Amino acid sequence: MHILATEGLTKRFPTVTALDRLSVTVGSGVTGLVGANGAGKSTLIKILLGLLPASEGTAKVLDLDVATRGAEIRRFVGYMPEHDCLPPDVSATEFVVHLARMSGLPRTAARERAADVLRHVGLAEERYRAIGGYSTGMKQRVKLAQSLVHDPKLIFLDEPTNGLDPRGRDEMLALIRRIGTEFGISVLVTSHLLGELERICDHVIVIDAGRLLRSSAIAEFTHATESITVEVEDGAEQLTARLAELGQTVTPHGRLLVVKVLGPETFDAVRDAAADLDLGLIRLEQGRHRIEDVFREEAAHV
Amino acid sequence: MSEIYDIGYRHYDGPRLGRGHTVRALTVHSLRGIFGLGRTARSKIMPFSLVTIMLLPAVVSIAMMALVKQPGLIPYSGFAVIMQAVVAIFLAAQAPTVVAPDLRFRVLPLYLSRPVTISEYVGAKVAAMTMALFLLVAVPLTLIYVGELLIDLPGPPGTGEFFGSVAMALVLALLLSTFGLAISSLTPRRGLGVASVMAAYLLSSAAVPVIYGTLEMSGYDSQARWAWLANPFWLVDAVQSSLFGTPSHAEGPYPGGPIPAVLVVALIAAAMAVLALRYRKAASR
Repeated sequence: MHILATEGLTKRFPTVTALDRLSVTVGSGVTGLVGANGAGKSTLIKILLGLLPASEGTAKVLDLDVATRGAEIRRFVGYMPEHDCLPPDVSATEFVVHLARMSGLPRTAARERAADVLRHVGLAEERYRAIGGYSTGMKQRVKLAQSLVHDPKLIFLDEPTNGLDPRGRDEMLALIRRIGTEFGISVLVTSHLLGELERICDHVIVIDAGRLLRSSAIAEFTHATESITVEVEDGAEQLTARLAELGQTVTPHGRLLVVKVLGPETFDAVRDAAADLDLGLIRLEQGRHRIEDVFREEAAHV
Repeated sequence: MSEIYDIGYRHYDGPRLGRGHTVRALTVHSLRGIFGLGRTARSKIMPFSLVTIMLLPAVVSIAMMALVKQPGLIPYSGFAVIMQAVVAIFLAAQAPTVVAPDLRFRVLPLYLSRPVTISEYVGAKVAAMTMALFLLVAVPLTLIYVGELLIDLPGPPGTGEFFGSVAMALVLALLLSTFGLAISSLTPRRGLGVASVMAAYLLSSAAVPVIYGTLEMSGYDSQARWAWLANPFWLVDAVQSSLFGTPSHAEGPYPGGPIPAVLVVALIAAAMAVLALRYRKAASR
């Protein structure tokens, strides 16, 4: 079942076109929405929440049309905005309890759920202190907690790692992965950093200037470009020739040779060729391309 | 000793209540905020000292009724006009706390990403402020009335005048809260909101008697009466005067007829329109 689906979704503002005929489907699990700043990520989320009308096209979230059933969608969806959204003079507990009630939870259930999610996002005793004194990392956790407090089926996280230091970033990413797997809540997470989404997503959607560049499972992203990097002391040309004879695809990259992996026989071919030619093999490593490279290639084609 | 186990994530399958519940919860939350309940001790000082000041005349009135067996100093119908400065300070001090933080700290998107709509949000805020102002005026009135009944003065109690003044307190509360919230929603800074509401009140309360006096001295008696309608407290008193036949509590007579009542309705509608426009803009950000 699709968690969300858009069909020819277009959003025009007076001066820019934020989304341009975007058609995409998202299944359950963790989905990354990647694009540079201004690519249309936040606009897409606002439309999916039913807060912004689309200029053209349709979008469905949890099988509900965003144009007509926004209120129902918002009952079962959580949203963590990119910007600051926390009042400084209340405690995290009070704030999250209040927003749980705004999602329709009765008072006692709101208190229990708030305590639960604050524990899950890793806020301990400090949750009783005023939010004004929190670090950026703690504030991001409160923002995440409020998006989870009503136990949604799907959450939209807009740049959740923004402003975090490397450790905070790792912890946030691990938490998002847990939400998608252990908690069983589908996640749509945006980022302009491709590398970090690679670690936690099942599926990645790349958009640029409001248009879809690519949408596919993470395995396809990395699989399609699987290769090994080979480095020998001398005689790279000889090795290239020998490997070509053996039916391998070799691309020289300076001192390095990038060999496309056709199967296990590729590794054997490299080993045998190096041994036959009596070459000193220095490096033989899995050259898994990062999503970045794919993005760069795709962007170059457009 | 019990040990704490990580029981993992638990799903919620309890009830999810409808709009009535959320709007009521937001109203109560805002009302508590106006009186500083559930906030720091510092934020309770202002509202509670103003409530105390409002209760003082009631206490004095009851004491006088008990000791001298005479009706109290302040008539029910004139209570709001006489105490107007205190009510205005309460409005100026507390209206910005209702709307400014959500705008300034951009909490609004968190409400709007839930089933709450923008009109429900604004409605709850107006309801909370109206209720707070109504309580501020109606509680002392009720206290005086209960005192009057218990002391059992000679002659019939002023029941009609009391209920009339309570009804007008509600109208006044609605007029003041829509205006106060509209003005303070235009600036996300709380201090600026307090100053703006106070300035608007001072302008209307200081200028009106001057305009009235000048016009009256120049011989424009009938035109001078209209001046009173520029201040919300005298305006509502004018409505009370024409509805219930109570005397004017200003320094001169009011223009009679339906105009004051129409003006009240028009002003409430105008303030609501400003709020609607302001929040439509805030929501689209």
